[in-house]
Amino acid sequence: MSFLAPAALGLLALLPVIVAMYLLKLRRPERQVSSVYLWRRMVRDVEANAPWQKLKANLLLILQLLFLLALIAALARPFTWAEGAGGQATILILDTSASMAAADVAPNRLEAAKDQARRLVDGLPQETRLTVIAAGREAQVMAASSRDRRQVHQAIERIQAENAGSDLSVALELASAMAARQPDTEIVVLSDGRADLPQRLSIKGHLRYLPVGISGENQAISLLTLQPSPGGNTLTAFAQVSNYGETAAQRRISFYGDGLLLDVYDLDIQPGGQQAVLAADLPVGSGQIEARLDEESGDILPTDDRAFAVLGDSQPAAVTLVSQGNLFLETALSLMPGIELTLADSPDSALPQDAQLTIFDNTAPISATLPAGNLLFIAPPRSTTYFTTTGTVEAPSMRPVATEDPLLAHVSLAEASLLDAVRIPLPDWAQLVVVGDFSAENTQPSAASSTPLIFRGQVDGRRVVVFAFDLRHSDLPLTVAFPILWANTIQWLAPGSAGEVPLQITPGETLTVSVPPDVEAVQVTRPDGVTSRLAAQGGRVTLAETDDLGLYRVQWGEDQGFRLAVNLFLPQESDLKPADNLPGLGQDEAQAGLAPQQARREWWRWLALAALVILTGEWLVYQRSALVRLRDRLMNTFSGKKR
Amino acid sequence: MTREPFFSEEFLQRLERLALIARRSTVGQLQGERRSPKRGQSVEFADFRPYVSGDDFRRIDWNAYARLEKFFIKLFVEEEDLTVHFLVDNSRSMNWGQPNKLRYAAQVVGALGYVALAGLDRITISALDHTTGNGNGNHAYFPPQRGKRQALALFNYLQGLLEASGQEPGMPHVPERSPGQWLRAYASSALHKGPLLLVSDLMDDGWQDGLGVLAGRGFEVNLVHVLSPQEVNPELEGDLKLLDSENAGEVEITADYELLERYRRELQTWQEDWKRFCAPRGIHYAPVVSSLPLDELLFAWLRRQGVLK
Repeated sequence: MSFLAPAALGLLALLPVIVAMYLLKLRRPERQVSSVYLWRRMVRDVEANAPWQKLKANLLLILQLLFLLALIAALARPFTWAEGAGGQATILILDTSASMAAADVAPNRLEAAKDQARRLVDGLPQETRLTVIAAGREAQVMAASSRDRRQVHQAIERIQAENAGSDLSVALELASAMAARQPDTEIVVLSDGRADLPQRLSIKGHLRYLPVGISGENQAISLLTLQPSPGGNTLTAFAQVSNYGETAAQRRISFYGDGLLLDVYDLDIQPGGQQAVLAADLPVGSGQIEARLDEESGDILPTDDRAFAVLGDSQPAAVTLVSQGNLFLETALSLMPGIELTLADSPDSALPQDAQLTIFDNTAPISATLPAGNLLFIAPPRSTTYFTTTGTVEAPSMRPVATEDPLLAHVSLAEASLLDAVRIPLPDWAQLVVVGDFSAENTQPSAASSTPLIFRGQVDGRRVVVFAFDLRHSDLPLTVAFPILWANTIQWLAPGSAGEVPLQITPGETLTVSVPPDVEAVQVTRPDGVTSRLAAQGGRVTLAETDDLGLYRVQWGEDQGFRLAVNLFLPQESDLKPADNLPGLGQDEAQAGLAPQQARREWWRWLALAALVILTGEWLVYQRSALVRLRDRLMNTFSGKKR
Repeated sequence: MTREPFFSEEFLQRLERLALIARRSTVGQLQGERRSPKRGQSVEFADFRPYVSGDDFRRIDWNAYARLEKFFIKLFVEEEDLTVHFLVDNSRSMNWGQPNKLRYAAQVVGALGYVALAGLDRITISALDHTTGNGNGNHAYFPPQRGKRQALALFNYLQGLLEASGQEPGMPHVPERSPGQWLRAYASSALHKGPLLLVSDLMDDGWQDGLGVLAGRGFEVNLVHVLSPQEVNPELEGDLKLLDSENAGEVEITADYELLERYRRELQTWQEDWKRFCAPRGIHYAPVVSSLPLDELLFAWLRRQGVLK
């Protein structure tokens, strides 16, 4: 034990003063009594050995000396060295990923980490500024550079585990930026080390990593899919169970559909191994399935013992291709999932009226009746209701106008060249996507002109896209850009088609899906049954709150929509074995951080408290006779009342 | 100046029903209601004795002469009066307390004195202010008187005693004689032995000495030890210097709970000591707190003690 302010110990010189005051006896107030006869009779034996006798067994004196001692000791600010963080500022990073919910340390890793953080905070000197960052899917600053320990404690209290992976790198970068501003900063990471980290991270400040967790015994459903059986009348589920622990595990996996137990398999999984289960001939039901591992004490993370899967239930988009035969288009369309393709030879023959999309390749209906649904015209030979053709141009070069257009997402058209294109003045409903620059030889030499090559728009409640050039008169289908451009186009024209919406995502993942243009809002049903409305913007809906595991249902219109399973298929979160040092961080840094560091733990509060207690005791001792008299008076009053 | 009456009429009437008990018969001066050791002229026969010349021949018992042919004189019990001695300690320590001890003592003496006067006894009162000297002024000595008519004089005397004590504030002074010397002197100067009542707080040395002498001289001593409630249960706290009201004595104490507890224990042992001192000498010892109501003291308490009936 040492003292921060040893000079205060000089006040110990006051102790003899108290004793001296007792010995010398200060001037006492005088009180007249009838006779001191009795008092003298009594005091005679006491005063025989004065003055030393007086000090003996004087409780008040002892208490006063103790009080002064405690006060002086508190002023001297004693402290002991305790293991803890130090420095001018400390940044606490708490991992809140799903793996921190593991119960290998009671009650779970996150609570253990919070306890550790609290102890750390209490052990810090009062001057240290504290920052608390919760590192979940995003890094969240719970308390920023605060000296208020109460605030810090509340911030730590507020931290909750998330069902998601953790991104320690963002938190570390944030901490590093903070540390760069303030010298002598220590960054403390409380994590099980199961987190995403970039390979090399340069951290300013002193980094310490305090691993949380002791065990890695966990089995998890790492994969679950649901497919129609080849026969078509039943479903087949495929599940994969991984054992991340170090001992072999016997688990039982049960499949439930619509709340009924459908199938059960016993598994025997070697440590570090996986076992696949194929459950065939499951009834179709509502097309969703849940897989559960039985409860097992050796499994420390129950979150990943459940998984959900849905059958892709969005209807395939009906697409009609009116063409004299175009290999590019047919191949591209047949390769796209979720498209039900109907081929037609003539635009004037009876076209299916319920198609979501009708593609006219090098043709256009002579009769004015266009089929319902969205339309895609490729090199239309004649005018239609929506546009007018005015001839052709030779060898236009493609130039994107609207680079942020959905059709052009991830598309680079620089390499493609065209032989010719139909000349179509831009209708007033349409937006230009790509224009073709050409030199108009017929009119004025070297006068450059341009014509729309691709344009899109909404007219009469339908989406229309026009490609003003023949794909076969171009090398565009041979470029890398074509499949992407084609996919973008089909997605815009036939939104909600399968393939766009994944059947499974991980918790916290944000999902953006296209919905038909006339849908203003969708209804989202969460696993816990709560429904909410999400407004659509520009024909797209963004589903962001997917933290809970389970099945989500997104609906619009009467019965349109899709289902979605949120599963924790994250090996880094299910593999719970705590890492000894942070992956991606240099061994040196982590090792340096692990070196125990000493922090001062001050004791003056306790001493001041003791002084207060002693002072109270001294007062009570001093007022004893008054207290006894008060008690007697009260008892007299009560007994008097009784009488 | 009108003095408030010492006792109310009703109280005096109640007092008349009481009588002092004399445990021993003593020689009196005048005929009274008390049995005397002398043979005298009452109606109560006492004894015979042979006639010797010079005896009053009127008292010869002729019936005896007829039977025995010898002269015998018939003796009768003499009934005489009794001199009751009242001694009041009016030292400065007595003039203290709430209720005042001296006033209480005066009331006790007044009440018992009235009882004695009503019983045709002679009373004498001495204020034993050993600090001012015996016979100094009127109020130090009440000469022997008898008869109910003297009651007013008795009350006036006591009133004067109280006022004289009240008039003497000021510096504490050294006593001329100790209480022991006082009592010794009283014992030798008193003409008629009889019941003696001493009212004092006994806050001095020497009382035991003097009381021993009084008891030895044939006085029937009753000791009323009066203390004020403040003395029985002092309300003191903190570091104090206690000043004596009589002399320059002072004691420094730190009054805390233990000290007061010890004081109370000390007071008890002191009274026990007095009890042990009085019992073998035939002295009635009666410790009284001045907060005890007077009628309770007279009609219940002293009766139980066998002083009154």
